[in-house]
Amino acid sequence: MTTASRPRPAALLAMVALLAILASACTGSSSELTIYSGRSQNLIGPLLDDFAEETGIDIAVKYADSAELALLLAEEGEASRADVFIAQNPGATAFVGDEGLLAELPTSLLDRVESGFRSPSGRWIGLSGRQRVLVYNEDLVSEDELPASIDEVVEAPYAGRVAIAPQNGSFQDFVSAMVIERGEDAARRWLQALADADAPTYANNNAIVEAVSRGEIEMGLVNHYYNERFLAEDPSLPSRNHSFPQEDLGNLVITSSVSIIGTSDQPEDAQRFVEFLLSEEAQRYFSDETFEYPLAAGVEPSTDLPALDDAPYPHVDFDELGSTLELTTRLITEAGLT
Amino acid sequence: MSTLPPATGDVGAPTSPRRRLGPRPGWLTPSALAVALLFAAPLVYLLVRAAIDHEVAVTAVGSGVLAPLRRTVLLATLVSTGAAILGTGSAWLVTRTDLPGRRVWRILLPLPLVIPSFLGAFALIAAFAPGGLVEDVLGVRNLPQVRGITGSVLVLTLLTYPYVYLPVAARLNQLPPSLEEAARLFGRRPTEVFREIVLPQLKSSILAGTLLVFLYTVSEFGAVQLLRYDTFTRVIFTAFKTDKTTALALSLDLGLLALLVVVLERLSAKAPRTSGDRTLRGLEVRLGRWRAAATAAIGSLTLFALAAPVGVLLFWAGRGLLRGSDRTSALSSDLGSLLIPALNTAQMSVLAAVVATIGVLPIAYLTVRRRSRASHVANALVVAGFALPGLAIALALVVLTLGAGPLSAYYQTPTLLVFAYAIHFGAQALRAGEVAVASVPGRLDDAARALGAGRVRRFVTVELPLMTPGLLAGAGLVLLSTMKELPATLLLAPPGFETLATRIWNATNEAFLADASIAGLLLIALSGVLTWFLVIRRSAAL
Repeated sequence: MTTASRPRPAALLAMVALLAILASACTGSSSELTIYSGRSQNLIGPLLDDFAEETGIDIAVKYADSAELALLLAEEGEASRADVFIAQNPGATAFVGDEGLLAELPTSLLDRVESGFRSPSGRWIGLSGRQRVLVYNEDLVSEDELPASIDEVVEAPYAGRVAIAPQNGSFQDFVSAMVIERGEDAARRWLQALADADAPTYANNNAIVEAVSRGEIEMGLVNHYYNERFLAEDPSLPSRNHSFPQEDLGNLVITSSVSIIGTSDQPEDAQRFVEFLLSEEAQRYFSDETFEYPLAAGVEPSTDLPALDDAPYPHVDFDELGSTLELTTRLITEAGLT
Repeated sequence: MSTLPPATGDVGAPTSPRRRLGPRPGWLTPSALAVALLFAAPLVYLLVRAAIDHEVAVTAVGSGVLAPLRRTVLLATLVSTGAAILGTGSAWLVTRTDLPGRRVWRILLPLPLVIPSFLGAFALIAAFAPGGLVEDVLGVRNLPQVRGITGSVLVLTLLTYPYVYLPVAARLNQLPPSLEEAARLFGRRPTEVFREIVLPQLKSSILAGTLLVFLYTVSEFGAVQLLRYDTFTRVIFTAFKTDKTTALALSLDLGLLALLVVVLERLSAKAPRTSGDRTLRGLEVRLGRWRAAATAAIGSLTLFALAAPVGVLLFWAGRGLLRGSDRTSALSSDLGSLLIPALNTAQMSVLAAVVATIGVLPIAYLTVRRRSRASHVANALVVAGFALPGLAIALALVVLTLGAGPLSAYYQTPTLLVFAYAIHFGAQALRAGEVAVASVPGRLDDAARALGAGRVRRFVTVELPLMTPGLLAGAGLVLLSTMKELPATLLLAPPGFETLATRIWNATNEAFLADASIAGLLLIALSGVLTWFLVIRRSAAL
């Protein structure tokens, strides 16, 4: 009671002073390379620090969900202060590209990556690849009774036993690829079959892999590296990755990508940055630290991963993904998958 | 809750604030409305978009909104009812009874508010899902299903009851014990005293806290997303990625829903009552044979709301620290990298709490002292900001700052971030602020005026000290909410500006459980320390 009844002009003054400092600290330095990264800090942070250290270029990174950053870039438009956009999935980049906000990259950089993993219009370059896989619990399902294709997943005896994450960007990109490759009706039928079989749904890939590893569900459709990471934290888990034997949409390889924003005031630094991400050092980082497939020519994936060619994957025009995404989410919602 | 008989709390304060004499300060209404307009910026932005874009307006009233709206209202009703009961009960036990360990409970009880809801949900799933920790470690089988509405109600009730606990506990500390003592002398049992004397006087505080819980639940995203209960916000977040028209329309609906709820609450609620002498120690009820049961109740509340989520985090953090990691970015090998995010979190949350508390004070004064149409409008606008999803507020501020010439210098600065927090969470400070203003007995101010004290002097020496506990309770709520805020922080923070919440998000996003847990534990510890030093220790007997 005694403390409360004494007025505290000193404390008030201190607060006002703090506010004044805050108000004056609002001008950011413009010499920094501003990076919007949809890859989370745990995946790419150390690599970005290496770039700053090696080149002496100051960087400022904003981490958020790829789709939210795409939305932010669209709202900022010409006023954006971002120089570079790193996206986790091609859908987000294509969205920003369709708004006309991305610069065209020089062919010297584009040529470093195989044509299937860069934008035909030169607006983005793939950095690392991740493959869609079926994760399963080896205590519950034996290897020889696994489905042989993405179509078998929705048929008996597998229907209802395979979990999905309908709101996850990678799952949506996979459905978009199905829309592009097979048409709207085929994609609708596949989704409807999943919904009719009451396929278990989860918030994201992590949740699926967790549920599979503790035996809550038998199988799930996810990206390959989640299980690799779980096994790295706890090698005793019974979760395993499975790829379909023939070329299959279920083996789709999705790329993370980098683009330069059209309004960047330091395009040279931005290009150096892209070049750095395609360097052997950076590509090796993706392979060794995040268990992904390096995409720049001449860098081999980690020996812990199955070779990418072991699981034949289809080639899809990722630039079409951006404009397909709205249809895709509508199809998913209409099927009743949430 | 609005049908309770009129409170009898006036007895302690013979002079009702509304019958006070003295000139009406001419600047109060304009300044309150000016502040309210700042708070309304995101809502105004949404309304303008709806006015310009016909499609937004059509979607906002379309039939597609009914199902998620029904689920949202159901969830919010259940959660706010549960939180009202838990918050009021626990506040009464730790302020009015001889419950053992009161000092400790008072520190622990507000803390669940700081556990980000997505961490709470994450822990619940990890613990109770088939094959989870409970089954694994304790060997308990056939646990109840925690997904959907059951899990959502459970997690959100346990994490939001402090919204009710804090204002109610602050109010209990201010209530004159004379009435309760008189009732006891006339032979009323403690339960009767509680129901007939204490509860009516707490009505406005309970209602204020419950409204906050309702609005929080309406705008909640993290827990319902993980527990897969398809509320309005979940639909909005999905829509923002592909179909901005729908997302904006639904956000507008949420804002309007909040306005509606606030108007209903305003119509039913009376202004908070003044209290009399606060110098007397509150009456202490002897729990007697109920002591064990009461302790068990408070203990299990703390166990489920605080110890369980913290325990799950400790388990993951411990596992990560013991095993180590060969990842170069692993936190377990570089704990020092959390220092800057922790300092940023502390600085932002303290500033937001100060700005919000001071900012809403004119509106609190207007509402309590001069209830008018203007005060209702100002009040509703502030409160509506709380129900808008953080993402919608952030995007509105992006457009408003970048589109308005000189303001664009503030884009993605800490200043804008503090402003965003203040307008998002100002409602929390407002309700506590109203209770605080009402706790200043009019006769004291009149006496000071009669003795020739000027307005500033009266404010600083008479009113402010009396209002301090209430203001601190409100500031505490804003502080805790800001510390865990995510959607607006991710979009509006300067590039390179990290907080503990963004660190946790980065780690959970990719299932680095150990990293997420270490940062999460630090966030909880930091909020405990900050609320202790800035709020609990100073708000007198609280």
